[in-house]
Amino acid sequence: MTRSHLSSITSRMDKLYEFDREPVLLQKLHSGGRFAGLFAGEHVAATEFVIGAFFVLHGVTANDLIFGLLTGNLLAVLSWTFICAPIAIRTRLTLYWYLRKIAGPGLALIYNLANAILYCILAGAMIAVSATAVGLAFRIKTPSLSDIYPSSVGWVLLTLAIGLLFVILAILGFEKLSRFAEVCSPWVFVVFIAGALAMLPRLGVHPNLDNFWQIATNRIWNGVAAAGQDKFGFAHIMFFAWFCNLAMHVGLSDMALFRYARHWAYGLYSAFGMYPGHMLAWICSGIMVAAVGREMNPGLMAFEAAGLAGAAAVLIAGWTTANPTLYRAGLALQTITPNWPRWKVTLAAGLATTVLSCFPVFFMRLLDYVAIYGLVLMPIGAIVFAEHWLFPLFKLEKYRAEKEGWLLNARALAVWVGTLLVCFLLPIHLFFRWLPGYFIALISYVLLSAMRRKPEKNKHEGKATKKNKDGDEDQDRPCR
Amino acid sequence: MQKILWGFLSLVSLTVCLFSAVGYFLGKVEASQYKLIFLVSSFGWFIFATLWARQRKN
Repeated sequence: MTRSHLSSITSRMDKLYEFDREPVLLQKLHSGGRFAGLFAGEHVAATEFVIGAFFVLHGVTANDLIFGLLTGNLLAVLSWTFICAPIAIRTRLTLYWYLRKIAGPGLALIYNLANAILYCILAGAMIAVSATAVGLAFRIKTPSLSDIYPSSVGWVLLTLAIGLLFVILAILGFEKLSRFAEVCSPWVFVVFIAGALAMLPRLGVHPNLDNFWQIATNRIWNGVAAAGQDKFGFAHIMFFAWFCNLAMHVGLSDMALFRYARHWAYGLYSAFGMYPGHMLAWICSGIMVAAVGREMNPGLMAFEAAGLAGAAAVLIAGWTTANPTLYRAGLALQTITPNWPRWKVTLAAGLATTVLSCFPVFFMRLLDYVAIYGLVLMPIGAIVFAEHWLFPLFKLEKYRAEKEGWLLNARALAVWVGTLLVCFLLPIHLFFRWLPGYFIALISYVLLSAMRRKPEKNKHEGKATKKNKDGDEDQDRPCR
Repeated sequence: MQKILWGFLSLVSLTVCLFSAVGYFLGKVEASQYKLIFLVSSFGWFIFATLWARQRKN
């Protein structure tokens, strides 16, 4: 790809994100209640039917589950509060525009494409989850835990049909569907609670709950992993709850949200999403899977627990999760498809997603996929964090990519790729790799930038030129 | 006024959904009854919550 070609692509990408180019105006800031509502609605999704059930199949004990979820979700809330929100309220920019200042438009483009591919795979998994609900009506067998390739023609036809339906609906009316999703989320949460409650008698829990803990420890989270599944303990659960939204908090993509916050402490509102969605809903899906004989089939679980409404909840939750994901993937891909209208890009992203959804590996290995998703995007968060907070500490010049008109910050790219290589080679469980990786990315980016520090003379010249132009050298963009 | 009414009815529908499951857990209603009540009140939720959301937007 030539430099001019890359420049033309990045300028198209800038046009797409033009609407959020400027820092958010003071009068446009949102109240805390709005953040609480946003988080509460966003974190009760189709994935919750699968994740909580997988914890049971991975042989977690009840104590490990509860304490792991309490601490992991607390760490996630603190990551939003102390890592993501402070940078967002100081810059009032989306990650896209801030990354562009730090790493150049070329790296922002690569980041967008990586995000688009990861979004497509996630949407594919959601289509597969929905297919388990529709498959009940047609008696189509859900793939087994170890399946990588489609197990039957029926499964392929089903996922293709549902995927195409989701894509057509996403093309016809993304915004209407988004509003529909807002209506759905409280109901889906009730399906989780009601479904788990209705499954308790089947597991032998008495109406006065006197034997609940005994059943929980012996029949639900009994510490016995299903065949072929790793045994999970406290650390696995804690890390999973922490990194489940890694790209959003430590990876900083929720800067798009928190740039509307009045104060960095608004990050604490993420608890309204974490504890109901990533704790209660996971516990409920664990109860449901135990009651259906530990069969990983979200559609069957919900149908047995709440009848037709339960199966509909799985279908709708998959649909409402896949819809914005397809939209975001389409938005990211629009940069490399010159003059294509949005419907055409969404169709292309949707068709790729639909094909991916046929492969049960993305759905049956969802926990690993969530870990990889966060891991891949995490180094970008570390690079932005380093440039924002650590560069001033070490007296390193910020935003050189923007000031010197770099198409791509080679050091940032090297740190991103290098960190992922090191993480790939680390001899520890996939769930734990991101944490050392984060510190590797932070330290190596600061060191590489310090080694390539500009000579003092040039640095002062550069500063003078820039100050004459807009007078806000090395200042974070203020809230206007 | 209509907005309050739709909001109230949607909350009632959601509460009925939840209490049907509580009733089944306590052995007060049969499984088939619980599932039917849950389905009907779910329809109620979608109708009233959509009307409420539309009023709120207006």
